[in-house]
Amino acid sequence: MNKNYILPGFVILVSFSLIIFTTVLLPHFIFHPEPSEYAVEYTELEAKGRDVYRREGCVYCHSQFVRLQDRGFGPLVEAGDYVYDTPNLLGTIRTGPDLSNEGGKHPDAWHKAHFINPRTITPGSIMPPFVHLKEDDMEALIAYVQSLGKKRLKKYDRIYRPDEYVAKLEKRTVDVNSSAAANAGRGIFQQNCATCHGTHGLGNGPNAIALAKKPANFSRPFYKDYDDVTWFWRVSEGVPGTRMPQWRKKLTDEQMWYLVAFLKTLPRVNEVYPHSYETLEPDKWLEQLKASEAELNSEPKAMLIETQGPPPMAGGGH
Amino acid sequence: MMLLSDKENSASKFFILTAVFWLVVGMTLGLTGAIEFVAPDASTGYGPLTFSRIRPTHVNTVAFGWLSMANIGIVLYIVPTLTKVKLFNEKLANFVCVVWNLAILLGVGCLVHGYSEGREYAEYPVPIDVMVLIGLLSLSYVIYMTVIQRKVKKLYVSLWYILGAFFWMPIVYFIGNRTFVRLDGLNDAIVNWFYGHNILGMWFTTLGVGIAYYMIPKLSGKPLWSHSLSMLGFWTIAFFYAPTGTHHILQAPVPEWLKALAVVFSVALVIPVITVLTNFFMTMKGSWWQLANNLPLRFVLTGALFYLFTCIQGPFQATRSINWYIHFTQWVPGHAHAALLGTFTFFNFGAIYYILPRILGRQFYSVGLAKAHYWFTFIGFNIFYFVFTVIGLIQASGWQQGMEVSQWSIALEPYWFYRAFGGALMWFGNVLFLINVFMTWRGAKPLDPPDEEPAMSVKRTGA
Repeated sequence: MNKNYILPGFVILVSFSLIIFTTVLLPHFIFHPEPSEYAVEYTELEAKGRDVYRREGCVYCHSQFVRLQDRGFGPLVEAGDYVYDTPNLLGTIRTGPDLSNEGGKHPDAWHKAHFINPRTITPGSIMPPFVHLKEDDMEALIAYVQSLGKKRLKKYDRIYRPDEYVAKLEKRTVDVNSSAAANAGRGIFQQNCATCHGTHGLGNGPNAIALAKKPANFSRPFYKDYDDVTWFWRVSEGVPGTRMPQWRKKLTDEQMWYLVAFLKTLPRVNEVYPHSYETLEPDKWLEQLKASEAELNSEPKAMLIETQGPPPMAGGGH
Repeated sequence: MMLLSDKENSASKFFILTAVFWLVVGMTLGLTGAIEFVAPDASTGYGPLTFSRIRPTHVNTVAFGWLSMANIGIVLYIVPTLTKVKLFNEKLANFVCVVWNLAILLGVGCLVHGYSEGREYAEYPVPIDVMVLIGLLSLSYVIYMTVIQRKVKKLYVSLWYILGAFFWMPIVYFIGNRTFVRLDGLNDAIVNWFYGHNILGMWFTTLGVGIAYYMIPKLSGKPLWSHSLSMLGFWTIAFFYAPTGTHHILQAPVPEWLKALAVVFSVALVIPVITVLTNFFMTMKGSWWQLANNLPLRFVLTGALFYLFTCIQGPFQATRSINWYIHFTQWVPGHAHAALLGTFTFFNFGAIYYILPRILGRQFYSVGLAKAHYWFTFIGFNIFYFVFTVIGLIQASGWQQGMEVSQWSIALEPYWFYRAFGGALMWFGNVLFLINVFMTWRGAKPLDPPDEEPAMSVKRTGA
């Protein structure tokens, strides 16, 4: 080889080894964070879920570290939190929210429904459906997501849970099943809620047209499953990410219980669905379907009279 | 070994032709992903079509299937012309091409079915890593031996870049894909991003710039403006590029000294960029008129323009204050596309339009298709890049104001559509390119008279 190129070749060799030493080997030698009190040692199920998380590529949209400037994502992370996380799933893109403190924010059933079809739970989401996951993979993935930051949350406990609202039941002074309370609630509803949710709670108030996320349509069967506490919690805390405000800042507890009483009286949409689980058997269900159809056709559609013009807009989940 | 040709430039031809095929495959995957942002239920619950599986497949296919293979194909043509000797071992290079094609094909299959290592840019499972590494080492051997046997005493700057790339890349690839050393979470991330950034810096950039250094003087017919400046560019890249990887995790709890190192060296990268671009543009001084009728040159210089954008963006977005704002947003993939698609892919297009007729010894099938390819890709990319940046800024302000994700994400709906639209334009342009290359390869009679586009004709600007 030409001698002129020996020196440059040597320089490349030395400089590159130096760079590899400082950026690859040196951190390996001197950077050994102790496992912090929040580092999660995964159980077998959680470890399997972590594998599913990696396999499905969740990391391409969800990061796992909270930065100083992130608000609403729980406590900050430390170096020691990641000791058991190999391969790393830090992520570099957030198309969806950060998941470092996701565990415990939502019940398992929420996650399952969200994986199967995200848009039924968070309207406007662009997360792909993960309906192809097998039952055991799904279970593992949910276990893993619930494990994220669970230790941090136990300490800081910054998350609202409807459980806290269960305690409100004891202090309740309003009989939510009485028609008097519902009547009182009607006035509150017309004054505060009707501009968006419409006078009949169909989600078609005058403001609805201007909202990117349409207000909920309370006639949907979904809302018929709400119990008192869930209604109360929803009204008081509002719905993050939508225009639904936290009504506890404006209304008293008593007023909100009146509202709940009214909301419970809103009829369900004119739509055929089994009245009870006993009738889920195909034959009986068909029978009932016919009966319901006949029933609906004979009824005057009182609720729909006022919604001429723009059709009732589907409310988004809750 | 009967199948492996010993013909001159056969490996280069094989690499370029298959690379163009993988380009269209990779872009189809990318477009599918972009469409799924507009219509999130488009995957209809079919696992391999889900965006999160498509994304790594797209990245790896375009990075290894298209960009690496096209770069190698071009390099295998450039190195013999610059050293004035035949390629050291054509058969080995052909063999590598077979191995790589197999690896990319397996890679697509594995990644869409979820067999992924889960580290960004290093998703290929171990057997494919081994295949890629064997390919890289064999190519390094072939190219180094060719250069050692050269008949031209002085090394042109392109050769410096090429030799550098083939020295660094096998090492970087090995470090990035070492699965037998298990590292704790953050150490794993540090090594992952050493690899993730250096595959750009020590492979795509060095090869891409090396190719542009060959192509611009060749296509414009003017000598390189300054050889000493080109050497300054090479040595600064060699020194400054490798330690910058940690800027990808600048706000994660990794050691501060490593972050400081990454930021300082990232900013220092302005030096090689300015030297390289000064050299390119000064070489073109007084002959910019050639852009009007020299299509390959237009491709290469468009690439150089995007290189200016992306490489001014790069050092600044690696600083802490700007990273604070734009990290985690679509600004960053926009930047990555500007480098790999806007710059190096455009360099390669120009080089292929120049090289392929010379390897095959016949005119390109259609100049009209080539022009359409340029305009579709150029306009599509401009829309695409601009929209990426806008989305990034919207997302950044969303994070900064502490808004709910679901609240700002709904504001992005139209932009996802514009992005997919820009991508679709590029995709269409590249399907035209594939048709054009395929027809040229099959020896179809040229549609246009050969003298219409001087630089694309074999005779007028002989090699």
